[in-house]
Amino acid sequence: MTLPEVTGHPIYTAAYESSFFLGSIISISAAKMIAIGMEGSANKIGIGIMSHPKDGSPPQVLANIRHTYVSPPGEGFLPKDVARHHRAWVVNLVKGALKEAQVSVEEVDCICFTQGPGMGAPLQAVAIAARMLSLLWGKALIGVNHCVGHIEMGRLITGATNPVVLYVSGGNTQVIAYSSQRYRIFGETLDIAVGNCLDRFARTLHISNDPFPGYNIEQLAKQGKQLVDLPYVVKGMDVSFSGILAAIDSLAATLGLGGEERAREDAERASNVEQTSQDKDSDNKPTRADLCFSLQETVYAMLVEITERAMAHVGSKQVLIVGGVGSNERLQEMMGIMARDRGGSVYATDERFCIDNGIMIAQAGMLAYQSGFRTPLKDSSCTQRFRTDEVHVKWRED
Amino acid sequence: MASHLETLDIPHLPEPLSVYVALYRDVQNAAFLRQQLLSGNKEFEYAFIDASMVFSRAHATAAIFRAINDYKNDRLKSHNVHSEIVFALNPANNIADSFRKFGVTDSTKDLLAVKVSVSPEITRDSVAAHLEASVQGTPVPFDDQTVSEISDVARIKKVFKLGALPSPGDKNSGPNAKRQLEMSLVGAIALRGS
Amino acid sequence: MAEYKPPALPAPFNSTNPAPELLTQGAEGHLYKTFSLDPSIPAALKVRPSKPYRHPILDRRLTRQRIIQEARCLAKLVREGVSVPAVLALDWEGQGGDEAGWGGAWLMMEWIDGPVVRVVLEQWEAWMKKNASSLDAAQLEQENARVKALLRRIGKALGGLHKAGVVHGDLTTSNLMLRLPAEDTEAKASPTGVSTQGEVVLIDFGLASQSVQDEDRAVDLYVLERAIGSTHPRSEPFMEELVHGYRESHRGAISTLKRLEDNPVPLSPPSPMTMTECFLPYG
Repeated sequence: MTLPEVTGHPIYTAAYESSFFLGSIISISAAKMIAIGMEGSANKIGIGIMSHPKDGSPPQVLANIRHTYVSPPGEGFLPKDVARHHRAWVVNLVKGALKEAQVSVEEVDCICFTQGPGMGAPLQAVAIAARMLSLLWGKALIGVNHCVGHIEMGRLITGATNPVVLYVSGGNTQVIAYSSQRYRIFGETLDIAVGNCLDRFARTLHISNDPFPGYNIEQLAKQGKQLVDLPYVVKGMDVSFSGILAAIDSLAATLGLGGEERAREDAERASNVEQTSQDKDSDNKPTRADLCFSLQETVYAMLVEITERAMAHVGSKQVLIVGGVGSNERLQEMMGIMARDRGGSVYATDERFCIDNGIMIAQAGMLAYQSGFRTPLKDSSCTQRFRTDEVHVKWRED
Repeated sequence: MASHLETLDIPHLPEPLSVYVALYRDVQNAAFLRQQLLSGNKEFEYAFIDASMVFSRAHATAAIFRAINDYKNDRLKSHNVHSEIVFALNPANNIADSFRKFGVTDSTKDLLAVKVSVSPEITRDSVAAHLEASVQGTPVPFDDQTVSEISDVARIKKVFKLGALPSPGDKNSGPNAKRQLEMSLVGAIALRGS
Repeated sequence: MAEYKPPALPAPFNSTNPAPELLTQGAEGHLYKTFSLDPSIPAALKVRPSKPYRHPILDRRLTRQRIIQEARCLAKLVREGVSVPAVLALDWEGQGGDEAGWGGAWLMMEWIDGPVVRVVLEQWEAWMKKNASSLDAAQLEQENARVKALLRRIGKALGGLHKAGVVHGDLTTSNLMLRLPAEDTEAKASPTGVSTQGEVVLIDFGLASQSVQDEDRAVDLYVLERAIGSTHPRSEPFMEELVHGYRESHRGAISTLKRLEDNPVPLSPPSPMTMTECFLPYG
C-alpha cells in the first residue's frame, strides 16, 4: 500500500501501525454480520472490522488499523491539520482493513462512525467518508457515541459484565455506571480532561508527543522521587484539573524547568548515565521528573478516589478503565490496589483497544444495529458534545 | 478516705494503663501542691486540676483520654502525660496558659487530682495512700452532681469562647443546654491543634 | 475474587473489648458501633483507613484534612445548636492498622438512637402501596399529613444547617435520622405502624464544608429533592412541604430557593449540545 504524503509536519507522523487479530479469521459465510467502524474524533484515524456470528459465539476482530497524527514537541494539534490528515488516510485505511479482513463489500452489513464527542473538523472528515461509503455501497449507517464505543469494546475484551467504567482520555474524564439502559455519568471533570492536563504539561516541558505525551510523562515520572504539593480537587464524584495544571505550570516556570533547552538536557542525560547520578540536586529542588511524578500521583489518586466512590455507590466490584490514559501503568496499578482492597478487580485493555480505534466503533455500532437502530442521513451530522447518557442502550436488558 | 479514689473506667484505654481520680473540696494546701509541681517533685506527678474549671465528668474524661492517646502515640507537647491532661483541657495551644487557667493555683479551693499508671509501681493503693497524706481537703464523689456545684460555668464559657451558649440552669435555657455546652467543650478538646 | 476484609482498626480500638462492630463500609470510611469514653454510653466510630494506592504523603495530607474538616463542621454545628452527632474524640493521624505506623484517622461521635429517614419513608410507602385503599378519606389525609410534617421538619433542619454556615455535600434520606423519642406514641396510633416522631438529626458530614454560598446551599437542596424523588415516589408530591420548612428556617433561604429555581441543575457542568454542521467542503 502506498502511503499518502501528509502536509503539515510530515516528519512527525507516526509509522503505520500494523494490524493484529483477536482470534483466527473465521471463514466467510452468511452466518455472521459484519460492521465497519470508522473513528476519527481526535488525532487518530482508525478503521476496524468486526464480525458477529449469528450463532451467538463471541464476536471476532477481523481488522483493526490506525494512523496517528503527531505534532512536534511543545505543540498541540490543530483541528484543521488533523482533519487534513484523516482525509488523506481514510480511503487507504478502509481499503487496507477490507483486504486484511478478507471481506468483500457485499458481506458488510453496516458502516459505523463516530458521531461525537470529539474535535469538530476531524469528526466531520471521517463522517463524510462514512456517509459516502453508506450511500455508495447501500449499507446501513450507524452513528456511534465515542464513549459508548470504548465501554462496549472494553466489556467485550475483558469480559467485565457490569463494571464501573472510568473513561479517561485527552477529551474526556468520566465515571460511568450502567443503569436501566443508560450509561449514567456518576462523576466527571468540571473543566479539562485528565489527558488534556497531561498533554498540556508535556507541552510546557517540551516532552515529545511521540507516541503520545502521556507515555513520555510516565517514563520521566519513573525517575521522580519527590512529591510536590499540588491542588487536589475532588467534589463528590466530580474532579477538576485546571487548577492543578496552572499550579504545576507556574511551578515549572519558577524553577526554570520548562522549555526546549531543558528538554534537550534531559535527552542528553538519558544518553549519559554517569551524569545522572551527579546531577541529583543537593538542594532538593524538584526536578522535571519530580514534577511529572507529582502530577501523575495527584491526578491518578483523584481518579481512583472517584471511581471507588462510584463503586461504593452502586455496589459494584468491577472497574473497567477505558480511553487513552487508561494505558498508563501507574493508574492501572493504583486502581488495582484500590479494587483489591475492596475485594474486586480491575479490567484494563492494552493500547490496541484503549487508545482510540475503529473496532470499538464497529462493536458498539453492531450492537445498536442488531437492536434495530439506524442513523438516517439527515440525522448523521456530528456533534462535538455528545453525552454518554444520551444513548439509549437498547442492547442491554439487565 | 481512699474509698473516694475512683478508678476511671474509660473504654479504649490501652492496656495496662489505669486512671485514678479523686475530687476534693475545701482544699487547704493548694499552694504547697502547686509548689511540688513547680519544683518537679517526682512524688507529685499528678494532673492537679482546679475543679472549678471542670464542667462535668465527660469534660474531664475527654481531656484525660486525649492526653493518654497522645502519650501512647508519642505526641506529648508537655513534659508527661499528667501535665498533658491539664494542657488538654485548654482549647488553645499555649501550655503555660493552660496551667494558669486549669491547673492548681494558690487560691484553688476545689481540686481534681488525676493519676495515670504509667509504671507498674503506681497502683490504686499507692495513689490512695499518697493523696491521703498529701492533700488537705474533703474528698467528695466525682460525679456530675458534685461537679456542677463546683464549676464556674461563666469562666469556663469565657475561656472556651462559648459565651453565646445558654448556661444550664439559666431561666432561658432549654433542656439541651447542658448537653450543648458539654459537647461543645468535648469537641474543642478533640479538635485542639487541628 | 478475594473475600473482602476490612483493614485492621487503628490504635487504641485494636484492643477494645468487645471489638467495635462494623456497620457500613463506604468509599472513604468505615463506620463502627462501639462505646464512648463512658462504658454506659454507645458511640459511633468513623475510621478513614489509609489508602495504600495513594502516595503516603498525599494520603496523610488528604486523610488528615478531611477528618478534621468533618469534625470541625460537626463541632461548629453542635455549638450552633444544630442537631448532629457531637464529636467525642478525634485522631487525625492514628497509629497501628495494616501499614506500619499509619492506621488512618478516626473520629468518635455521639451515637444517635433511631431510624434513618430512608427506612421510615420506605416502610411507610410500602405499607401505603399495599393498604392505602383500605383507608377512609380522613385516615388517608392523616397519613399524608404525617409525612408532610416530617418533610417540613427536614426542610427546617436543613435550613438550620445552612444558617449555621455549613453545607452537607451529600444529602440523601440515608443521611437523615430521627432521634428516638423517650416515648413513641405515633407507631401505635397509626395503622401503618410506622412512626415519624423524633428530632431530625443530620449525619455523615464526610463531604461537608463551611459555606454560605447560595450555589452550595442550592446543591444540598437539589440533591436531597432528587434523592427523595428517586427513592420515595409517594412522598415526592409533598416536596413543597420541605421547601416550605426550609423557607421559614432562616432569612437567607429565600435567595437560595431563588437560586435553585433559576438554575434547577446546579450540579453538572454545562453541557451545551453544540451541533456542528458536518458538510464542509474539503480544504
